[in-house]
Amino acid sequence: MIHPEQHYLDIFQVDIPRMDALIAEALRQGGDYADLYFENTTYGNLVLRDGAVTSGGRHIDFGVGVRVLNGEKTGYAYSESTAREDMMACARAASAIADGTSAFYEHSVPATANGSRLVGRRFRGAPNPAADRYPVSIHWRTTESSVLIPYLQKLESEIRARDTRVVKVIGVISWQVTDILMYNSLKECKYETRPMGAFSATVIFQQGGKVENKTVSRSFRAGVEMLSDQVVEEMAAQAVKGIDERFDARRPKGGQMPVVMGAGASGILLHEAMGHAFEADFNRKGTSIFSDKMGQQVCPKGIQIIDDGTLKGNRGALNFDDEGVPGQKTYMVEDGILTSYLHDRISARHYGVSPTGNGRRESFRYAPIPRMRATYMESGDAAPADIIASVPQGIYVDEFSNGQVKIGEGDFTFFVKSGFLIENGRLTAPVKDINIIGNGPEALRDVLAVGNDLAIDPGTWTCGKEQSVPVSCGIPTVLIKNLTVGGE
Amino acid sequence: MLSEKEIALARETLEFALENGAQKARITLNKSLMELFGILNGELDKVSHALDRSLQVSLWVDGRFGSFSSNRLEEEGLRQFILGAIDTVRSLEPDEARDLPDPERLVKNAENGRELDLYDNAYETLTSDQRRALALGTSVWDRKAELEKGFRILSEEGEYSDSIFDSVVMDSNGLFARHTETSFEIGYEVTVEDGEGNRYASYWWDATPRLEAILPSLKTCCEKAVQRAAAQIGPMDHPGGKCNIVVDSECASKFLTPVLNALGGFAIQQKNSFLVDKAGQRVFSPHLTVMDRPWNKGESGSRLYDSEGVATREFPIIDQGVPTRYFINTYISHKTGLEPTIEDATRPVVLPYGGCKTRDDVLRKVGNGILITGFNGGNSNTSTGDFSYGIEGFAFEDGVITHPVREMLVTGNFIDLWNNLTDVADDARLCLSKLIPTLAFQNIDCNG
Repeated sequence: MIHPEQHYLDIFQVDIPRMDALIAEALRQGGDYADLYFENTTYGNLVLRDGAVTSGGRHIDFGVGVRVLNGEKTGYAYSESTAREDMMACARAASAIADGTSAFYEHSVPATANGSRLVGRRFRGAPNPAADRYPVSIHWRTTESSVLIPYLQKLESEIRARDTRVVKVIGVISWQVTDILMYNSLKECKYETRPMGAFSATVIFQQGGKVENKTVSRSFRAGVEMLSDQVVEEMAAQAVKGIDERFDARRPKGGQMPVVMGAGASGILLHEAMGHAFEADFNRKGTSIFSDKMGQQVCPKGIQIIDDGTLKGNRGALNFDDEGVPGQKTYMVEDGILTSYLHDRISARHYGVSPTGNGRRESFRYAPIPRMRATYMESGDAAPADIIASVPQGIYVDEFSNGQVKIGEGDFTFFVKSGFLIENGRLTAPVKDINIIGNGPEALRDVLAVGNDLAIDPGTWTCGKEQSVPVSCGIPTVLIKNLTVGGE
Repeated sequence: MLSEKEIALARETLEFALENGAQKARITLNKSLMELFGILNGELDKVSHALDRSLQVSLWVDGRFGSFSSNRLEEEGLRQFILGAIDTVRSLEPDEARDLPDPERLVKNAENGRELDLYDNAYETLTSDQRRALALGTSVWDRKAELEKGFRILSEEGEYSDSIFDSVVMDSNGLFARHTETSFEIGYEVTVEDGEGNRYASYWWDATPRLEAILPSLKTCCEKAVQRAAAQIGPMDHPGGKCNIVVDSECASKFLTPVLNALGGFAIQQKNSFLVDKAGQRVFSPHLTVMDRPWNKGESGSRLYDSEGVATREFPIIDQGVPTRYFINTYISHKTGLEPTIEDATRPVVLPYGGCKTRDDVLRKVGNGILITGFNGGNSNTSTGDFSYGIEGFAFEDGVITHPVREMLVTGNFIDLWNNLTDVADDARLCLSKLIPTLAFQNIDCNG
């Protein structure tokens, strides 16, 4: 959603000359770039618990962040007031990074040092900065709670109607609307309003003495129109799906074995185990296991891995990133070759490439760093059923609940919330509450098959690298030759 | 740090809410200031200045409840915000269980915020130049050659920061309480590379409310991170199976936190806890006793009151394997009929058992097994208590570390795990919010 420029200048009670004066103050001691990030966020939430919507609230967060770059060094300060004297104090605090020096732009790494494919990735895909990727027809800020509450009530009744083992339902509608104004020492002024809605249910089931839980959610950069009876029906059906298997599930015998990732939410593995290692700050600092792999074959030919800010209404969609760079579709791996890291302005300058629109921040309280948006692998040509049929003995995973990666080593661990044993090419006994561990680069090299069924998961994914930002993930059905599965 | 004017604004906001439709209200006003200096490979890489304020408002209107917050503290704007908040609460469904705590339970001795000795005057006199010097003095980059023994240090990234946090809470039942603390912190992450190009990363950190107390760690933190990273070089497979495990005090909270969470009243009321109906029963090993000790002066994590303003107290959370009670706030108490307590464990302390003082003592006593020094991913099931975590650590034999292990998992159920507790050392790190020493367990499933 993009209003006229004056709308944003009025919210923050600034004008271009005043922002120029702030930039000048920020650069007074030196430095070669400065920017301002104004934010006005309203959050709201409603909670259904024990059959009634008895809890809710609204929250306001307002302020401005001032950043000074001196070479690759960062000075950052913020103010919760946009009064002139408060912002000036903030600019002076950020200017401390320069300390009388100026480090003008130099490429730390020649543009083609790691292969000719390093450049030429500029704005591939859909870079159109004029696109509004999250138009809103019903606004969160002006919608009464009485309009939202029936969706929570219906979700609970639909879930309970589908399964008599349901003992508790906690339903939540949460939303956030953020007005953003960005201005920098290049005199670029960008502004927009970002919506975000999330609708979720956590369901507790009881069968005999056993208890199980399941959470389902939908989250989009959209207005209230994201709520509908159809969404309620879909979520209710998803909430009770697979509960029989979950009560019957057990831990399998552990060991090394082939693993098939189901399409959709399994994409979190791609986000954690590979995506983070492709973020350019980890590579610039030499900590990522991929820092010397640019231009090299990192997985079998035919595989494309993408980070995409252009998916309309997606949780990771961005018209602009938080440095004012247009949102883009960035191919990190093309035909199995690592062709691009994910860049903010600092790392792009270091590598001598264009920023990829990945400079993101949680709020005005944080300086931007390279972050993913919607990360996924493109579809291959295998039928999912054929992939499963090709595995004599292994594990099929359709839901992970947690994951972690060690960026330097590439080692990852993921908790399997639900899945199945694969025996003689067929899904057999359900499994749960086990871990899968492996190494990111090795797992990429060991991809044996990619399905033709890419799905982007619609759930509420939040990435927590130093700061929390909304993301999404996806993957087609993928077979990995060998991973370690924890079990009895 | 909070000015009298800011505190007066909070009082006026409380009164305004009561005059305009709220029958009860609680206001919490927080303010914090942090200065941070980041170091990358021996050079200053980042400076950051962060001043935050937030006003949190809980409102009870016509039998309904809502919670709100804003960092825009201009008087007129706040009044409009409160009027809008009251309208929002009126749109919710009534909930008789919502109420303020009984005034008898409220804290009475948190008047100036400094009763627990968590505030260091040295914070006020530190200059920006002094902070910068402290931060730059923590790097080992200019002497890395002498530390590189069979490996290369690829990068060091550290942060020195100090902060002050000041908070007051007041309600329409007459509560007024204040908590003030300073914090001085250092943290480093280091990546090293062995002769074959394999990379290993690790970290170390420390935090304390007193400047003087952090000074020794400023000198040793980065080197300790280097040592921890280098110690991982040359990992080997381990056959796994049923193993003795020793869990380093740095990461032992991974096993206790889910147990404390399972004692939370909300999880119990929602039946999403593996400890439903277990209070008062012997569930864990009799070797396990966890005390809540919230009043230790000068130690991070100490608090005189919880977010409702209810006074904390010292009591056994788990007494010789028996969870003594659930954590029941006012709302959950009214929902369940259970006696209210503080809302959560404040500063849990696991008491030593078995006679060992240090991690090395425990390794010698246990003999053979796996020493866990960190966790990498994994999760637990809050309903069943089943868990599976990726682990980092070392194999040890005859009480001596032999080699790092790789790609290992520890899997089990928390009730079984804590029934297999054999030893608790006496080496908890004071910088952590939960004081958990090195732990030893027997007969635990480990997969490699």
